[in-house]
Amino acid sequence: MDAGFISCHDCGILVNVGNIAAETILSCPRCNANLHFRKTHSISRTWALIITSAILFLPANLLPIMRVDFLGTQEYSTIMDGIIYFFHGQEYGIGLIIFIASILVPLFKIIGMLIILLSIHFKWKHWLRHKSAMFRFIEFVGRWSMLDIFVIALMSTLVDFGTLTSTQAAPAATYFTAVVVCTMFAALTFDPRLLWDA
Amino acid sequence: MRSLSALIACPGCDLLLKKINPAGSIKQFCPRCNRLLYQKKSHSISKVLAISISGLIAYIPAISLPLLTLNAMGMHQNGSVFDAFVSFYHQNYIFVAVLLFLTSILFPLLKLSLLFSVALQLKLRLYSNNLPFLFRLSHYLDEWGMPDVYLIAVLVSIIKISSVASIQYDVGFFCFIFLVVMTRASSSALDSEIFWQEIQQIKPPMQLHENSSD
Repeated sequence: MDAGFISCHDCGILVNVGNIAAETILSCPRCNANLHFRKTHSISRTWALIITSAILFLPANLLPIMRVDFLGTQEYSTIMDGIIYFFHGQEYGIGLIIFIASILVPLFKIIGMLIILLSIHFKWKHWLRHKSAMFRFIEFVGRWSMLDIFVIALMSTLVDFGTLTSTQAAPAATYFTAVVVCTMFAALTFDPRLLWDA
Repeated sequence: MRSLSALIACPGCDLLLKKINPAGSIKQFCPRCNRLLYQKKSHSISKVLAISISGLIAYIPAISLPLLTLNAMGMHQNGSVFDAFVSFYHQNYIFVAVLLFLTSILFPLLKLSLLFSVALQLKLRLYSNNLPFLFRLSHYLDEWGMPDVYLIAVLVSIIKISSVASIQYDVGFFCFIFLVVMTRASSSALDSEIFWQEIQQIKPPMQLHENSSD
């Protein structure tokens, strides 16, 4: 960056731009994407998305996410109820998968990104390698939180025997999807090189 | 403004490094932040072309044919990936339904067809002006297509349902597994650096006097 080189975000080629005015918009000679030294407004965008997802995380977990109708009675269950149901039924493997994908992973993403953002804000220069590794893990794991939403979608399609028994989504589904999308965008807008700039 | 072919900057920490070109498919990691920098893959373009064609063939049956049939108390019920989206839509969860449509139906298709068209153009050495854009788009969408997560969700649903109803596996289920395997295979066969180098090679040199041509 100080050397007057820009590495293209999209194709990774290194471009020598020399001394140019900061406002000039350049495009990559190889892939035509706009060139930036760092992702634009990375810190503030990531903060906004992480705070949003932390707020949405509460209704996503406290409100019911699924409704099961059985012979006229309606039963609502939250994400945690679903996990406890599996543990009661001795299905520990599946219970653990759902617990990791829908509770641990979103929580880890929010807390992990907060640690990274705070360490940039206060210019903490320790554990940079570990923080980089943690960010790469957050990037990788993001999409797997959609698991629970897909399960509910499949259940509501398959378990639909009219008035006898049927499964439906409940309000938390929207909040939960929003949490997943916000945290995925937070990982996209964040530029890990900012960790090393301090 | 010119590109430097002998150097790269680590995308994770911006450390300037000399580019090395080893013979085998050795993984190269950044010495500072330990990010995977590059792994060479052989015959990437041909492999991606072949895999994306196979994936596209399986796509329509995988999405539209029923995955499973439930038999319980003398009644039958089946559903496909597309039905799952429609069911959310009818329950008025529009936001979730849209996301379901994008992640499980549209983006897997777009990813395979973009890779197909880019690999085909590189194979035939045809350059079109939107070629770099198409390839960039396939990278942007990569993370948002989630057929693999969906497959795990199908397996979780099977375990959930198996205690209350008997399950019959339908054609769509096997087509969907094939689609997931092909999607993952296309990612692991893809060597973006080779693709970009090829794109740069067949890209016509920049016109300096664009105004004088017409």
